[in-house]
Amino acid sequence: MTIVDLTSMGEPQTEQQREINARLVSLQNEISSYCYQCAKCTSGCEAHKLLELEPHKIVALLKRGLINELVNSDIIWTCMTCMKCRERCPQRVAPIEILFALKNMAVASGKQIPGKYTAMLQSILSLGLIQDIQQITTRMNTTVKRDELGLPPLSKPTDAQKFQAAVMKIATEKV
Amino acid sequence: MTTHMKYALYPGCLMPTEQYAYELSLRESLPVLQVQLVDVPEFSCCGEPMKSVNQLLSLYLAARNIALAEQQQLDLYAPCAMCHLALSECKHILDHNTAMRERINTLLSAENLTYTGSQQVVHTIDLLYDHIGIEKIKQQVKHPLKGWKLAVHYGCHAIRPKEIGRPDDSEHPLKIEAILRALGAEPVEDYPEKLDCCGAPLLANLPESALTKTGQKLQAIQHHGIQGLVDVCPWCHKMFDARQTKAGETIAAKLDVPVFYLTQLLGLAFGLPAEKLGLHLNQSPVEKLTVEGGA
Amino acid sequence: MRRVGVFVCHCGINIAQTVDVKALADYAGTLPNVVIAKEYKYMCSDVGATLIKDSIKKHKLDAVVIASCSPRMHEHTFRRVAKDGGVNPYRVEIANIREQCSWAHTTKEAATEKAKALVRSAVGKARLLEPLEPSMIPVVPKALVIGGGIAGIQAALDLANDGFDITLVERQPSIGGHMAQLDKTFPTLDCSSCILTPKMMEVANHEKIELLTYAELQNVEGSIGNYTVTIKKKPRYVTLDKCTGCGDCAAACRLKDRVVSEFNEGLGKRSAAYMPFPQAVPLKYCIDDSTCLFLTKGKCGDEPACQKACAQGAIDFTQKEELVERKVGAIIVTTGYQLLDPGRLYEYGYTTSPDVITSLELERLISSSGPTKGEILRPSNQQKPKSVTFILCAGSRDETQCTWCCRIGCMSALKQVYLLKEKLGEDVEINLCYQDIRAYGKGYEEFYRKVRGLPTNLFRGRPSEVRDMKEYLKIDIFDTTTSKLFEIKTDLVVLIPALMPQADATAFARLLRLTLSGDGFFLEAHPKLRPVDTFVNGIFIAGCCQGPKDIQDTVSQASAAASRAATILTKKELEIDPLIAMVDEEACTGCGICVEVCPYEARTLNERTRIAEVNEALCAGCGACIAACPSNASIHKNFTKKQLLNMVDDMM
Repeated sequence: MTIVDLTSMGEPQTEQQREINARLVSLQNEISSYCYQCAKCTSGCEAHKLLELEPHKIVALLKRGLINELVNSDIIWTCMTCMKCRERCPQRVAPIEILFALKNMAVASGKQIPGKYTAMLQSILSLGLIQDIQQITTRMNTTVKRDELGLPPLSKPTDAQKFQAAVMKIATEKV
Repeated sequence: MTTHMKYALYPGCLMPTEQYAYELSLRESLPVLQVQLVDVPEFSCCGEPMKSVNQLLSLYLAARNIALAEQQQLDLYAPCAMCHLALSECKHILDHNTAMRERINTLLSAENLTYTGSQQVVHTIDLLYDHIGIEKIKQQVKHPLKGWKLAVHYGCHAIRPKEIGRPDDSEHPLKIEAILRALGAEPVEDYPEKLDCCGAPLLANLPESALTKTGQKLQAIQHHGIQGLVDVCPWCHKMFDARQTKAGETIAAKLDVPVFYLTQLLGLAFGLPAEKLGLHLNQSPVEKLTVEGGA
Repeated sequence: MRRVGVFVCHCGINIAQTVDVKALADYAGTLPNVVIAKEYKYMCSDVGATLIKDSIKKHKLDAVVIASCSPRMHEHTFRRVAKDGGVNPYRVEIANIREQCSWAHTTKEAATEKAKALVRSAVGKARLLEPLEPSMIPVVPKALVIGGGIAGIQAALDLANDGFDITLVERQPSIGGHMAQLDKTFPTLDCSSCILTPKMMEVANHEKIELLTYAELQNVEGSIGNYTVTIKKKPRYVTLDKCTGCGDCAAACRLKDRVVSEFNEGLGKRSAAYMPFPQAVPLKYCIDDSTCLFLTKGKCGDEPACQKACAQGAIDFTQKEELVERKVGAIIVTTGYQLLDPGRLYEYGYTTSPDVITSLELERLISSSGPTKGEILRPSNQQKPKSVTFILCAGSRDETQCTWCCRIGCMSALKQVYLLKEKLGEDVEINLCYQDIRAYGKGYEEFYRKVRGLPTNLFRGRPSEVRDMKEYLKIDIFDTTTSKLFEIKTDLVVLIPALMPQADATAFARLLRLTLSGDGFFLEAHPKLRPVDTFVNGIFIAGCCQGPKDIQDTVSQASAAASRAATILTKKELEIDPLIAMVDEEACTGCGICVEVCPYEARTLNERTRIAEVNEALCAGCGACIAACPSNASIHKNFTKKQLLNMVDDMM
């Protein structure tokens, strides 16, 4: 017997669904199944008004096993990570954590991800930090850098290669 | 003389590479309160920005930084709310899930590091309110910020999610207001937009939406007749301070709200020179209060 | 030589599908002293009982082992069967091969082996079981009802009308409970006080009911049929016989309109001398010692104003707390509920905005005896609201607050919508944010349909927060019926909060040795078959102290509890289970440790003989004294060391 979503001809992917729920548990979160669709998350979602993110619908689709639809959607990248959905959920479900799981899946499947993340990962690999020291402008329109302000040197990994190797190793693993 | 409270300063990425005012002001004002900050080499990104990419990587990075502080037997002070969340959540997960802890420790062994869970993580809010205390802060005030009517932006990452333990209450945070009152200011305890997001997490990829968030909150603060905004996170501050003009353009409104780091106000009230607190680095019109406010 | 019969029950297939019952019976037949072993599909049925009785006669049995379900289920049944067959009922031993065997294991071989061991052990004990006779205790034909809400009122009236003397204790100055605060009741829209007041009056005038208001239970001793209860009467500083309820004291009180009225849920003010509401029973005033100037400061002008005003001389500031003792045969607990403090959901603005109120507060605004005389006014500006928004499930079905459904929220909100439309006119904007409407009772769905027919905005969803914009309240609600986010600007927000156990439910339960369920309400002895009994014999529960419920269910349950109590009170004496402690007088050294450990105060030390004694009426057979006795003088009848060790030896 099968269940098919006739709008997309998608079928529930129970294996990926189990994988996401197992991941949620290992990260100390509640599984999605308890969601009863009160949509308190969407009522208070910071990204909803501007970008139409509907956290309750994300959870509903996960409960239905329609993972591909979610992983391939751009909407999962609109979350502002304010965590109000997780904080106020009466069933302790955490839509934000489900979104992290879906985004991780999208990355692992080689899907194109927003440029910011690629750039940040590159910077972490080479430097250990998401960006290097910036020159900034003061209110009086002069420019200044960290050392000119008398601040001590930046704390960052000194053996960059060793650090890079560790990060590269993990980058191909999953939670 | 009180014994010094000693912390490893965990600077993260954003504060030490561009949000210099936060670093300057906390390095100046906290020693007045007998807090000794220790610079630990080898720190890396906290991992929070990598959560969307690979959460195992973000756990690894957070655990790595905690393990470095554990080697020094020092608690960590993370002034950035994002970093504080990453480190706290990592602790929460590794302290509850032994399998995950072992997995992370196996990865850490490449750099001869181990996570044990022996050290705590603090943020500016609980460092000042819970560990130092209002009374000690009051004792150091030389120039009260009299008549400064201020709104506080706590930052989502500083107060949620409650169950992993955050520096203040997720729905009704009031510690910063208490600190501001100790400095002589008049904080507004409740305004409808108090818990709204600054927009920072979307700045790089969806800048228009991010700046709309920033602008709307600043506009509301202006509308309520509040004189200035106080924050405690380099990401939030970047939005409200450095991006204020852009945010105004995005929502077609004229915004001129002075925005301060809490540690800058601490320093001003303690009588420290504005320059040492990095006030010249703020992009928002802080002189509206620093000059007219008389500090 | 003891002659034992073993009877193996299939329990349909509950036991038989996992335990080889035929092999078990055959095996039992080979055990020493066993003269007959049989198996049957339902040993608890009439046929099974006959089989046991016939076997007793035919084989001249003097002890019986039943291999079946838990003794909790049918020990009583099989004791009676044995008695009818001619065997002393206490020479029955049960081997639990269902809960401990067939339900706990999956492989037939292992389950059958374990069943054999359990039967072997039971036979080992049966060989040594002594015949016991129950003793009898007289029953006090009186009852105590604790809590004077609708549940307590109903239970007290039912029992009083059966002819029993009732003591009804209420901690507030008047009976009536939450029902007295309501304006109308769903789904029939009966006026709450119109149907409640006659019952309250009946209580007041009933010759069989002793009403103790402003009083609390302090202590309970004894057991079923014979409880001694101590009740603390708080001083009300008004002599009940003299007070005519005229209200001159309240009018004269220097704190007139300055003390928050609990009855009006904080929306109105009263005096320190007060009557909670006009239909109070008793219709007497009371002086609140937490606010009264004379009682808190020792000075109220030259002379307390109320005292001066009272023509009857009813005010008496010399009153002290008083303890009274009553003997009763049964106790009914009807202590009710409290609402969740909506401040715990800070995001809904109850703490910050006066215009966010609870359903009970709205009830007081609707009521013509309320603080606004029945006018619906916004607390912040005393103007009529043009828009009212209800938020259901505030803290209900919520893992962070109350995990359960409050069972009255949907219907009370729908009722209030209906009443607001009546009071404020069709044009008032009503928004109702619900998740599921649970209209399960008789006539409820029909009422829901009636409200759907009114111009009302129903949003299916939960708001995340309520924002106080000063001139109005703002709510964003994602409506899952239209899949759209709506912004509601409204004048008044009504939260329907969760129903919770009373704040002191845990302490109260300890006083009566009641058990609490996980949610903190009092636990019934069986959710289906003993819904108003507790695990303490002779104590019954009814109404919201057992769990949230509406008035209909509360009244039914109260009548049920009264009827259960009557089964005790109608008896002249009760059989006391003889499976209790006894003392080996030779071995007792009079150390008194058993007296200290007994939780039922059943143990005393005879001062003259220096030997410990057991009060059979009080002993519950818990075994604490047996474990504690250093000289093996405390013995549990039919659970002697020899019997138990024999069981263990045979089992191994």
